[in-house]
Amino acid sequence: MKMHTSSKLRKEFIKKWVKGLQICCSSKKNMDILERKKKIKLCADIALASAKNETTLWSIALISEAKKDDENKILVDNLLGPESRFKPRMTNRQMIACHKRVRSKKILKKSRHVCQKMKKMGPPKSNLAAYIAKKLVKRRTQVLKRLVPGGESMDKFSLIKEALDYILSLRIQVDVMRTLVNANEVLNQSDSKIYN
Amino acid sequence: MSSRRSRQSSSGARISDDQIIQLISKLQQLLPGTRIQRSNKASASKVLQETCTYVRSLHREVDDLSDRLSQLLSTIDADSPEASIIRSLIM
Repeated sequence: MKMHTSSKLRKEFIKKWVKGLQICCSSKKNMDILERKKKIKLCADIALASAKNETTLWSIALISEAKKDDENKILVDNLLGPESRFKPRMTNRQMIACHKRVRSKKILKKSRHVCQKMKKMGPPKSNLAAYIAKKLVKRRTQVLKRLVPGGESMDKFSLIKEALDYILSLRIQVDVMRTLVNANEVLNQSDSKIYN
Repeated sequence: MSSRRSRQSSSGARISDDQIIQLISKLQQLLPGTRIQRSNKASASKVLQETCTYVRSLHREVDDLSDRLSQLLSTIDADSPEASIIRSLIM
């Protein structure tokens, strides 16, 4: 089941990324390498997020982040097509729903902790190890929140779930890009062979 | 999504703890160089750390590949036959 969805995502990503590259590379043929690289990367990120079709929070957040930049907005709108105009509303609604989940989870967690504390007051030594572990988890969760798009407004559960999907998608992105780079290099090699 | 909410309200936050543990073990399976799973509590922070490292390295790869592509594509016209060859190669 997972292989099925990943090959579908891969195809969608390639389709959208190639379309984006055509838009980028056809305008301004004398772009310098750095500017072109930024456009290639932006196209890849938007294509990946848009291929998710709003099924994940990270992809929605990535697109709305990209739209905030005025420079990118034209490219983004071209890539996403006319449906992109409806996206901000979906984003807000889903973000609000996510925040509500966060708040209700926090309230549940707090009441559970209060109950647990009242039940067991273990010896301080055993708590120290758990305390350190908890601090580590908290700190690393914060780091992960910054790495996953839209992670800042996710609760721990959604964050891990989104991170899972984000990693799988990133892998596809890397794999496709690497394939293109290799294909390109093969072409360049064969070109030089012909002309030699 | 709605089923998760109803589960929560009926049995408190206990089930979501198990779900978190499950997710963490799934995450661990994705990470490169995973060994046999140790006790869940001990590896939770380690899994998070390795996840962050992995995501960062994936970001770096995308960045590096974009660099290389930019250099390569700068020599190819978008409408040229080479571009269509590339497209057919990767599909």
